[in-house]
Amino acid sequence: MLQVGLAHYLTVAAILFTTGVFGIFLNRKNVIIILMSVELMLLAVNLNLVAFSSHLGDLVGQVFTMFVLTVAAAEAAIGLAIVVVFFRNKGTIAVEEISQMRG
Amino acid sequence: MEMPNLSLALPELLLVLGAMALLMLGAFRKDDATRTVSLLSVALLGFVALMVWGLGGERATTFGGMFVIDGFARFAKVLILAASALAITMSVGWLEREKLSRFEYPLLMLFATLGMMMMVSANDFIALYVGLELQSLSLYVLAAYQRDSVKATEAGLKYFVLGALASGMLLYGASLIYGFAGTTGFTQLSQVFHAAHGQPHAGVIIGVVFVLAGLAFKVGAVPFHMWTPDVYEGSPTPVTAFFSAAPKIAALALLTRVMLGPFGELFAQWQQIVILISIASMVLGAFAAINQTNIKRLMAYSSIGNVGYALIGVAAGSEEGVRGLLIYLAIYLFMTVGTFAVILSMRQKGRLLEGIDDLAGLSRSQPMMALALAIFMFSLAGIPPLAGFFGKFYIFLAAVNGGLFTLAVLGVLTSVVSAYYYLRIVKVMYFDDPVESFDRPVSRALGLIMAGSAAVVVLLTIVPAPLVAGAQEAAKSLFPTG
Amino acid sequence: MIPAIMFYVFAALAVAGGVMVISARNPVHSVLFLIMVFFNAAGLFLLLGAEFLAMVLVIVYVGAVAVLFLFVVMMLDINFLKFREGFLQYLPIGALVGLVLLVELVMVFGSWAFAPEIAAGLAAPTPDAQTMNNTEALGRVLYTQYLYLFQAAGVILLVAMIGTILLTLRQRPGVRKQVVADQLARSAKDTLEVRKIPSGGGI
Repeated sequence: MLQVGLAHYLTVAAILFTTGVFGIFLNRKNVIIILMSVELMLLAVNLNLVAFSSHLGDLVGQVFTMFVLTVAAAEAAIGLAIVVVFFRNKGTIAVEEISQMRG
Repeated sequence: MEMPNLSLALPELLLVLGAMALLMLGAFRKDDATRTVSLLSVALLGFVALMVWGLGGERATTFGGMFVIDGFARFAKVLILAASALAITMSVGWLEREKLSRFEYPLLMLFATLGMMMMVSANDFIALYVGLELQSLSLYVLAAYQRDSVKATEAGLKYFVLGALASGMLLYGASLIYGFAGTTGFTQLSQVFHAAHGQPHAGVIIGVVFVLAGLAFKVGAVPFHMWTPDVYEGSPTPVTAFFSAAPKIAALALLTRVMLGPFGELFAQWQQIVILISIASMVLGAFAAINQTNIKRLMAYSSIGNVGYALIGVAAGSEEGVRGLLIYLAIYLFMTVGTFAVILSMRQKGRLLEGIDDLAGLSRSQPMMALALAIFMFSLAGIPPLAGFFGKFYIFLAAVNGGLFTLAVLGVLTSVVSAYYYLRIVKVMYFDDPVESFDRPVSRALGLIMAGSAAVVVLLTIVPAPLVAGAQEAAKSLFPTG
Repeated sequence: MIPAIMFYVFAALAVAGGVMVISARNPVHSVLFLIMVFFNAAGLFLLLGAEFLAMVLVIVYVGAVAVLFLFVVMMLDINFLKFREGFLQYLPIGALVGLVLLVELVMVFGSWAFAPEIAAGLAAPTPDAQTMNNTEALGRVLYTQYLYLFQAAGVILLVAMIGTILLTLRQRPGVRKQVVADQLARSAKDTLEVRKIPSGGGI
């Protein structure tokens, strides 16, 4: 139990990833929480990559993580911009209200 | 570190430099530069397409093996560039009429196109991810472009949330594959799986499933299609026209390259999943479209069904299958672009209409437009001898030769069901009593695109041989040993 | 021993923070928990020897992204009391599905082994920490082997900039703005006049 190996890190990442996915699917409250759940998912991926990189003795995983971090920052900015314009039109960001179109 | 061979990526370099030059032009011009930037963008795309076409040659990689150029990439890139150029051309009039002219609009399309070109040339998971995100981020913004409309911003929001989820799944899968195979390069992965005799570690299989799910999201295949109808309906119509062609082609080409390239050795492991996705997409596309009254929504379900047909080519996993897929995509491009040119001309008193009923009696008020739409609908329905029939024929042929009889039979059956709603549009145009007629004249650009697409569909009906030969050549490059 | 204890502390706090992010009632609290997750993930990165990424995570994520979230949450004038608690009703079934998925994943992870043939194919083996630190090693591959992606990432950031400006910037008429050129063009001669005023006389 005290010997911490790769599997431990992957397990933490898997828990964070499932938390993120559930944050997206079960959230009925507000869109910003969904964006934060996306951040959690990407963080889990990064943890996976860094753990593999460390155990393989290969830098590619860390380089991959850098690109994921860069892109995720850009993604968060665009996501929040879309939330802001949605809020300006609708006056709310409750998930139930995102229902103009159905069928 | 030696200098990478830049000449292979010359079209991409030209596109990105051109886009930045146009950005400067738009930012520093005092008066509105949208029209100028749009026209220059179309010219740039056309030039880049000629360049891609002209730079022939064998399969080659550059940038440390992360960027590959081969016949398959060239074929897909020419289609993507053509689709983007047509989409920008269709948008100019709309932007001016709706008073939404902003020079960033064509630029975002250029950057999205650049991302798509990087996707089809990706030979590494990191390159795949970066290209995919460049495309996706531009598309999220374009979906919400009409920022004062509730529907458009809602479409942007939905597209963003589900797209980000898909990217997350794809990345998680990529991270597992990296960890269990020790590399992210497609060439190396193929070697690793070859050495494992197609029986890799269970971690790799889980990774492949996650990657496939992420890619299925991006192409809009069932069960990951939920975003498609809402995004098609909510986005501004010219943006929908763009979504329906270029990104679909890019995502399908990417999916084909990933599944048949690095994962080609694992064919037995994923074939069943692709077959299931394909069947579900064809069935849903056929049945869910029947009750639609909004033509953009109808085209969304039609695209889901068409992705299902295209995936048959991937499930066949053969050179023939890829050939069928490429032929299908090329024909689909012109059918869908032409249809959207008609949809963009459905104006009454300056307002854009989207109802199928609004087409009633079009054959009497605007016979040429009705004829063009009828050609597209007959072709989409796959009625011989039109080009759409050939597309389906080559796909089903590959399925039968690959022993996938169920898939071929289900494909034919769903085509028959979907013919019902395509032909209903023809019926509405030709046999229903006319309501108010549309505004006239139709803008010159839209008229030209309509006529041109119809002409291409007819031309491909009469002389399909060059397209088939080109697709054959492109498909061969994906199977270097075979 | 100490690294193991550190691992469990960081891991437990990261997971707990993650759960709180999606279950907190108040979005401001969610953002604060997200910051906690980032800090603890940075700790895990440090334990794995990825020092540079740990620092980037703290600086870029806590410093920029999380603050951006906080800014948007506070800018949108949201009545938090209106959001009703709909999360917990799905929790049991969700937790069950999640648990099954997790157990399956963990069973697979347990069997990871360092295959010798993999070592031969590594694209960028980590150099010895004695000769080169983590930051230098990353820099050496990032600007050479990954030049293409480095440039492409720059284009992505440009698109993000264009996109956010396009969506949110509104030019309002009638707003007074600073015109730097005009300010610089002014000189004391145009604006200032020195007059001699006799005492007691007024102007």
